[in-house]
Amino acid sequence: MKALAGPAMLLVIVGGFTIYKATSKDAVPSRDFTELELAADDEDHTGTCYSLSTVLIANGVFGDATRTWSAPDPDNEDKWDLELETVRHGPGGPARLYQVFTFEKFGEQVRLVEVDASEELPTDVTENIDRLLEAPHYRKSTPVDRCREDGGTGYHYPPKK
Amino acid sequence: MPRYLAAVVLLASLLLPACSRELDRVEVAQFIDRADEAARKRYAPDICALRGKKFESRLVFHAHDADEPSELDMTRKLFCREAGSFSQLRQYQLERKSMSIQLARDRKTATVTAEYVETMPYYEPDRRPATLDDFMEFQVVEILDESVVGIEDGDLVFLSTRSEAHQTLVPKTSLDIPYD
Repeated sequence: MKALAGPAMLLVIVGGFTIYKATSKDAVPSRDFTELELAADDEDHTGTCYSLSTVLIANGVFGDATRTWSAPDPDNEDKWDLELETVRHGPGGPARLYQVFTFEKFGEQVRLVEVDASEELPTDVTENIDRLLEAPHYRKSTPVDRCREDGGTGYHYPPKK
Repeated sequence: MPRYLAAVVLLASLLLPACSRELDRVEVAQFIDRADEAARKRYAPDICALRGKKFESRLVFHAHDADEPSELDMTRKLFCREAGSFSQLRQYQLERKSMSIQLARDRKTATVTAEYVETMPYYEPDRRPATLDDFMEFQVVEILDESVVGIEDGDLVFLSTRSEAHQTLVPKTSLDIPYD
């Protein structure tokens, strides 16, 4: 009994620390997830030539909005929600504006599978993909390796000049 | 065994005060004073530090001349971001008109009801001001706050705040709000 007291206490401390670490920080998707190529919402889910992280960075990760990643299913690391929130100060007073993008991994791609948003913002997936791609096209962001090769193409890629 | 026992006693003596700590009115009043002072300084990190991890805010805002109030629910994250936007103001006044503190039966939390008058420049929503002085009216906002405060990680923090605010716009020349 005496011999077990030390390891038991160590187990409690390590366990407590692990639980604290797991619950105290915002969850974020792994780099492996955000480095996947974002797919379009067409029938073939054509690659857009940009990784999810490139698209988010090009969009300035949506300006001054707060960003919260969460996994709808904590056991599934292949599906993530990105919630963006901001406050709009209109003539009627302050109001919350939000968008929730649900991204899911399919093979070597990540797809935008659902968009939930405030009334004023679009929830159509295709429209959102097109909006998301405006910034990397405008900034000439670095495409994924596949599209850097000669003749490499993707959804709306290369962008029209 | 005595060594482990000592460690357990030490751990318990560190944790127990945090668990058994009770609030009193003086402590809560001092906390609200500190929170008001942080708001007056408009320094977001200080404002934010006084909010609990799961802090939630609900604001019902009656805008000047609006038919219906707007409602705004904020998580701690969004609240803290909004607090950051106050740092841009150079004229800001916060006056507390009243405060009442009601301790919970177990004295672990308290409900604070307070009335405030907040005065600051009113920048028209769809117009970008050329300078911080580029405004025509001050907004005077009368606020009734109901906050629940409690202990978190040994510190007193706001757990939630519900506010009802009524905005009035007055000509810029009618008030003398000092720059700070």
